[in-house]
Amino acid sequence: MASSADNTPENPESGSSTEPARRGRVRMRRAAVMAVPAVAVTAGLAILTAEGALGVQFSISGMPFTVTAKSLDGTGFEQFGDLDNMIENSPNAGDTGGQVLIITSAIKNATLDSLCQSVDLGGINLLIKAGSGATKVTASDLTTDSTELSGDAAFNNIEIGNDASTLTKAGVKGKKGVFSQQADTVHIANLRQTNYATTAGVFKLPGLKLSFSDTGC
Amino acid sequence: MKGRSMHDVRSAFRGWRAARPFWGGLLLTLGGAEILVTEKVSLKVAMHIGMQGLTGYLLPALMVLCGLLTLFSPAQRLFYSIVGVLAALASWVTSNLGGFFIGLLLGLIGSSMIFGWLPEQEPRVSRRRRRKEARAAEAVQL
Repeated sequence: MASSADNTPENPESGSSTEPARRGRVRMRRAAVMAVPAVAVTAGLAILTAEGALGVQFSISGMPFTVTAKSLDGTGFEQFGDLDNMIENSPNAGDTGGQVLIITSAIKNATLDSLCQSVDLGGINLLIKAGSGATKVTASDLTTDSTELSGDAAFNNIEIGNDASTLTKAGVKGKKGVFSQQADTVHIANLRQTNYATTAGVFKLPGLKLSFSDTGC
Repeated sequence: MKGRSMHDVRSAFRGWRAARPFWGGLLLTLGGAEILVTEKVSLKVAMHIGMQGLTGYLLPALMVLCGLLTLFSPAQRLFYSIVGVLAALASWVTSNLGGFFIGLLLGLIGSSMIFGWLPEQEPRVSRRRRRKEARAAEAVQL
């Protein structure tokens, strides 16, 4: 840290007698040299994402959030029960003993129509909407831990009652001795999920809209 | 005397703050932290998607690191601000749209403030005062 003393002296008052003292300041024009291109790149990224050209990665956990969609079509579907453990003495534990019962769903490739996702940020909801136009939202390696799941589902080639540790369709394996099911394709209409955690390898969100709102999805 | 020592601590902190891009470094650190909070590690799930999932945590961690290093080793601030802004921009793709945009924005403002910071500047003079002084100088010449 000694080298930093050369151009950032610890006592800026020592040099001159003028008041107030000379000190480090942000020069606006200099800051703009970085700020302007950076804002331009951000706008570019947002536009590319909104056009569906750029896929983004999601991993949310720890806060409950809601996902709805008009319909979901997926290939490679797995579902099994699991238990998520909270940290010791978590304030969210309540009378649950620190464990949440969840349904883990994994879909290899999913296409969602009119996706709406809302996260409760303590009073105000952040809404993410996408895919209501001609091009749909696509997601790969989508894994969600849900506490609630509803919709009208249709499966193709479904195998019910597998052991969760022997699943093959979406590349995710559960615990040994847990009930599970898997299918080649899945179609869910009027999907509504309350999720506890989600991850997606690549999410493409054409027609992306970010907004704050009082009401969720 | 307690009041006296409090005053000393405060003025020492002010001196410390004046010698480094304090607000820029703080904002960049907070931005990275905000992104990390939105993806609060559920490692078990992160493992499902492997290396790709890991970059989602690496980039905000890099932002926090750059912010802290700016505060504690301000001589290399240009390098940290450039790495910080690149990490903030890339977090749009890898980490929940840059922590739902908030973290990205904080990182961007913070990095720009670090980049624009210069040590030992004269106090700011408002435009009106500068114009008044210029007019006064003109009047003297006439």
